[in-house]
Amino acid sequence: MSLLSILGVISSAIFSGTSLLYTTWGEILDERAGIVNLGLEGVLLVSASTGFAVAARSGNPYIGVLAAMLAGGLMNLLFGFMVITRRANQLASGLALMFFGFGLSALIGKPYTGTMIKGMPRFIFPGLAGIPALSTSQFKFDVLIYLAVPITILIWWLLFRTRWGLSLRAVGENANTAFAAGYNPRLIQYQTLFVCGLLTGLGAAHLSIAWTMTWAEYMTAGRGFIAVALVIFSKWHPVRAIAGALLFGGAVAFQLLLQAMGIAISPFLLDTIPYILTLLVLIAWGGTRRHAAPASLGRVYQGSE
Amino acid sequence: MKNKLIHSTLAIVMVAAVLLAACGPAATPVPLETSAPVEPTVAPTEVPTEAPPCLTIGALYVGSVNDAGYNQAMHDGLMEVQNNIPCVKIIEAENIWEGPAAETTMETMIQEGASLIFATSFGHQEPAMNVAKKHPDVIFEHAGGWMMDANFANFYGKPPETFYLMGVAAGLMTQSNKLGFVAAMPLGWTLTFVNSFELGAQSVNPDAETIVTFTGSWSDRAKEAAATDALINQGVDVVTMHVDSPATVIQTAEARGVYSIGFQSLAAQQFAPEYWISGAGFTFGGLMTGMAQDVIDGKWEPQFIRCGVADGCMAIAPFGPKVPQEVQDKFNAVLAELEGGTLVLFKGPIVDQDGTIRVPEGEVLSDEDMGNVDWFVKGVIGQPK
Amino acid sequence: MSQITSTPSRSSTSVLIAVQVIVRYLFIFLIALVLFGMILVIAGKNPLAAISDTLSFTLGSTFGFSEVIVKMIPLVFTAIAVALPSRVVLINVGAEGQLYMGAWLAAWGALTFTSLPAWALLPLMALLGMIGGSLWALIPAFLRARGLVNETITTLLMNYVAPSIVTFFIYGPWRSRGDALFPQTADFVPAARLPAFFGTRVHFGLILALILLVLYWFIMKYTRWGLEMRAIGGNPQAARRNGIPLTTYIIVIMCLGGAFAGLAGMSEISGIHGRLRPGFSPGFGYMGFLISWLSGGNPIGILIMSFVAALISAGADILQINQGLPYAVVNLLLAITLFVVLAHPTFLKGKKA
Repeated sequence: MSLLSILGVISSAIFSGTSLLYTTWGEILDERAGIVNLGLEGVLLVSASTGFAVAARSGNPYIGVLAAMLAGGLMNLLFGFMVITRRANQLASGLALMFFGFGLSALIGKPYTGTMIKGMPRFIFPGLAGIPALSTSQFKFDVLIYLAVPITILIWWLLFRTRWGLSLRAVGENANTAFAAGYNPRLIQYQTLFVCGLLTGLGAAHLSIAWTMTWAEYMTAGRGFIAVALVIFSKWHPVRAIAGALLFGGAVAFQLLLQAMGIAISPFLLDTIPYILTLLVLIAWGGTRRHAAPASLGRVYQGSE
Repeated sequence: MKNKLIHSTLAIVMVAAVLLAACGPAATPVPLETSAPVEPTVAPTEVPTEAPPCLTIGALYVGSVNDAGYNQAMHDGLMEVQNNIPCVKIIEAENIWEGPAAETTMETMIQEGASLIFATSFGHQEPAMNVAKKHPDVIFEHAGGWMMDANFANFYGKPPETFYLMGVAAGLMTQSNKLGFVAAMPLGWTLTFVNSFELGAQSVNPDAETIVTFTGSWSDRAKEAAATDALINQGVDVVTMHVDSPATVIQTAEARGVYSIGFQSLAAQQFAPEYWISGAGFTFGGLMTGMAQDVIDGKWEPQFIRCGVADGCMAIAPFGPKVPQEVQDKFNAVLAELEGGTLVLFKGPIVDQDGTIRVPEGEVLSDEDMGNVDWFVKGVIGQPK
Repeated sequence: MSQITSTPSRSSTSVLIAVQVIVRYLFIFLIALVLFGMILVIAGKNPLAAISDTLSFTLGSTFGFSEVIVKMIPLVFTAIAVALPSRVVLINVGAEGQLYMGAWLAAWGALTFTSLPAWALLPLMALLGMIGGSLWALIPAFLRARGLVNETITTLLMNYVAPSIVTFFIYGPWRSRGDALFPQTADFVPAARLPAFFGTRVHFGLILALILLVLYWFIMKYTRWGLEMRAIGGNPQAARRNGIPLTTYIIVIMCLGGAFAGLAGMSEISGIHGRLRPGFSPGFGYMGFLISWLSGGNPIGILIMSFVAALISAGADILQINQGLPYAVVNLLLAITLFVVLAHPTFLKGKKA
């Protein structure tokens, strides 16, 4: 396996994993506030289709990105209405959100299948232009990928260095205590869900606008669930999420690399690698890291109303 | 207080739905090239003319008609029929999966008066045959299969010859001698396309190799993008494909500055303004018009049709801006052989990846055998099964 | 989430409750329909035409109605596959994958034992279907029983693995030689086909599904196991303290759920397709999940909701042609209905949530 191949896998991992990374961050915030959102697959799809449609209609990919973020935020607000205000079961509501997303995204995206959009320019990070091995076309990334670096810092800072982040985590540990301390758990959870939606929309925008430049039904292929697993893998910490996203993105790329190298394994079996990998990750870490989870994860806040 | 909360949040949801769907199909998008607007159907009450239609045609597609690929090519053919015979009414159904759903769709079309049905996807063959047996007065034209019956016929282009041609172009344009082929699934015809592509390349460049990756689906865009990237990372500098829509592969190649060769529909060229070499597309409009006219005149007879460039069923796209004159000349020379009928594909001896002789000296691979191929020629890197 | 509890002793009260239940369902569905219609209108489609098209096709023609029943069969199986585990608060979203693996093992039986007569082969295939499905559910069951991973996520992930395995076999060891164009196995021998009724496509799987439904109702209501399951569902800690073996129940119930989903797969390939094809399920497992939740795991509810879901699904086939609506909007309507149920609006209930 040449250096070119390895760099290729890394490059592909970055492209494939970016949408996953943003979604995982969103879910980390969610779960830190005590909410499990299994409907991210639906949120991703609706954001991807909306963003793509707007990018196609307006001719401007960046407006499409904004539209995707907004769509994601709104979808999550709907979810919030179910689990916060109506106090419905989080797992069931999440799955309902997923199906809702399947249908709505198909409806939104239908006229735009096959439409060509103006993609985003890809460029090499200015500082790296000097290093020959990293200056090939493999390492030309779009702006959403580069944005991930400052956003990592932003999320870390939000979560651990602001009052809002503190209140968020407090709600996730014990909403009643947080309430007694003067916070408004409902409002905080709504806000968190909205931010999660924005992030997920960003990830979806990368998938449909920046990377594949297309829309197709169900194009997210389970990323919404992988994200939930990656949250556990990264111990609810945004920086560790990067490793997870690269791992999964790399699994997809690795499988294709094996094919391109002529290795004699059926592509269908290779297809299962990312999901089995996720399962193994969950098995290996799911149990022992449970104590790192926010204490009130999944519990519906009953409140005093 | 609580009711107010419910009502206001319901309002938010409605606003959300409005905003989300407002980005939706309020108007048809900018049409690609010459294809007609996307309205998939004419509702039963909206007949173009006052009189009942002279013929109702039903067409089913496995994907979406604006995929810049196979389905669009088929759709464009139907639209040509509409243009040529204005009194015809066409009912279309997209995203019809290859199974019992196809049967239901065809039955419904027949209930709505269709007497000619175009089943455009490979996998529609058996469902179409099942329905055909129950409706002997309805004519069925299937694309890409082999079954025939009194009211059932089969037609298709001759992609092996265009892929050979494209292989010639690729073999001449490549500098790394590595060509890439993104394929959906290891079906017999797909393998044949890859083989003819490689043989075409070898005819002008004996060192050319073709690397094949399978995405496992006719239309998994993320995989296609990743597959194209993986091929390019292996040093490939010309890519082509056999998936439903060439758009993603071509766009990915274009973003990486790699040559691309299109397939399925000529609409693909717009995705690669710089690095396009050439491409082939299906142009069944003329053939379909003839079939429709035959049905109207009562002259239709089941014929097994394989028509290629020379017969107008397939067309070659214009060259891209980076193709030098010498390549164009060589290409056109081979094209002339093709149109003149002097080009013979798969003439023995042909050896497969393991060295076994698959087509002995002096023999030629027949059409039927082409569909049953489960091997790759020497020079192809990939798993045929 | 409210449930319909066991009927009281007075028949008049039970009729009253039945009427209440039906009215409730109707109301929920009506609200969902209105919301769905609003979305359609905004998307530029005509909801009234959609509804009339759907109803005229499904209820207006024998063919249409038979198609509804055909679609209903796998839904009943998968709904029970989800409902049974839900009684012990297990969330089985893996019916889709379990369906595929059941079909896979049943297909193996059909392709291997080609000389057996129908009365031996069909039950064998049914058994294989159940084994395939339950084995697929075993892994998530085991992980959940050990407290390692929540079964919701594991079953979901395994849904993505199963179809690939099936496709691998179809393209590889089981590929039908003469059909190089189509990825599918050879035709099953006639002995492997579930018989159909009256020239329609409605097949014997319907009888199996209905028997299973009755069995489910009987077990839950009248057997000791049903009682214990309800105890676990009510309060797992208390149940354990009373000596009910929680771990065993979790594993057995999940595997049973998988078995029923496997039967869905077997009935589909045997009754409808007659061979194994890649991607033959348009999401039966997921729809079964929605149905189970919408009906609260109640057998009558499952029957009704499966019929409604099948009706919507058959309608979606027509709407694709007539209205240009993508088939996936079936999910939209069902999801909205589930949202309405989950939001349990107060005006639908007699008592506080």
